[in-house]
Amino acid sequence: MLTHNVVAPSSLCPIVSFDFQGQQVYDKLLFAHNLNYGLDRGGIRKHKSLRLRAGFWESIKSGLLKDDTTQVIETSPESQEEEPLPEEFVLIEKTQPDGAIEQIIFSSGGDVDVYDLQALCDKVGWPRRPLSKLAAALKNSYMVGTLHSIRKSPEPEGGDQKKLIGMARATSDHAFNATIWDVLVDPSYQGQGLGKTLVENIIRALLQRDIGNITLFADSQVVEFYRNLGFEPDPEGIKGMFWYPKF
Amino acid sequence: MLLRGIISSPLPSSLRLKTHKNLTVSAQIKTQPTTASSNNYTISDQALESRGFVLRRTIEELNLDHLNSVFVAVGFPKRDPQKIRVALENTDSLLWVEYTKTSKPVAFARATGDGVFNAIIWDVVVDPSFQGIGLGKAVMERLIHQLLLKGICNIALYSEPRVLGFYRPLGFVADPDGIRGMVYSTRKQKKKK
Repeated sequence: MLTHNVVAPSSLCPIVSFDFQGQQVYDKLLFAHNLNYGLDRGGIRKHKSLRLRAGFWESIKSGLLKDDTTQVIETSPESQEEEPLPEEFVLIEKTQPDGAIEQIIFSSGGDVDVYDLQALCDKVGWPRRPLSKLAAALKNSYMVGTLHSIRKSPEPEGGDQKKLIGMARATSDHAFNATIWDVLVDPSYQGQGLGKTLVENIIRALLQRDIGNITLFADSQVVEFYRNLGFEPDPEGIKGMFWYPKF
Repeated sequence: MLLRGIISSPLPSSLRLKTHKNLTVSAQIKTQPTTASSNNYTISDQALESRGFVLRRTIEELNLDHLNSVFVAVGFPKRDPQKIRVALENTDSLLWVEYTKTSKPVAFARATGDGVFNAIIWDVVVDPSFQGIGLGKAVMERLIHQLLLKGICNIALYSEPRVLGFYRPLGFVADPDGIRGMVYSTRKQKKKK
């Protein structure tokens, strides 16, 4: 219901800033958050796997630094003007000291394990809600965006560890309005701009589906966070009201 | 049953909805049976019927062009009826009042949400020619009741400044505990980059 514990992103290595030639393209790709590139920044390499039309990709390739591990999955040309937001993509890829690779993945597919979600809600200090209701709420949400951390073991035989580290969901009438609820990021992953990216990608996905009115209710401490994402409180004096709130 | 969703946690004393002499809905009432029956509201279903108004809860007999006219009459932008249809089909709860004489909708309200925790009420309208006689209140009371019956206890809405006084007596509070309603503005997006 409310947004809690999403710390305003610090200036620490924001996902979307990087050295780059080709400013115009930069802006467009920045907004899309879909960018495949490799950068050497100490031990952190940031990749974003991207599904692009071949022509578009060609046009920006020259401006990018690429390394061999970059993955570009190209789709057949779409009829839409704008490239569609892929359902799942890598936001960050880090190489850890032990050689393991950690990827942070955004997905709008809504594949959430309710037990994982409950554990995450516990971590941010939210009151417990019945699992069955959590499951129903997710099922009835128009869009559920998630952040997962996948840790790929350095051992050749070692498996992957997948962890839910963030979620946001939106309810909607599929035509005009959408409301974002339950934005949360694991405290140990806060401060990196993940909450920002989570919300930005939900917004982008909603706008692509032509849902023009995107709303939410923000605790006073996070009003600024959302203002920086493009939300306006009380536009034209319109007030959020609650029926007999428990406050 | 009625307030099961609310009763699950401690309630402030302000949770006492006096809508009519015969009804005091409060936290203590756990055993009172709840049916969406006519006697629980400020104006009963029968009273409405006797005045020529029928309450409807489905979109089956709702003429969307007529509904659109009501929207336009109260100042909403005119919307594509097809989109309105999609919106209504994906709306959890809705209520409208049909004026028997013309078979047209004269009041309307709907709520979207996740069906368990949260609901937002949208598009609350009363045809200007029928305002001031309690139809808006009638629709709102029943819509809220419907949501409560589902166990949804977080009911919210966005109110234009001039109708805050309509929602307050119904039990709505603006910015409780500093919570602000926020809307995404596409105009501002370009500035941020």
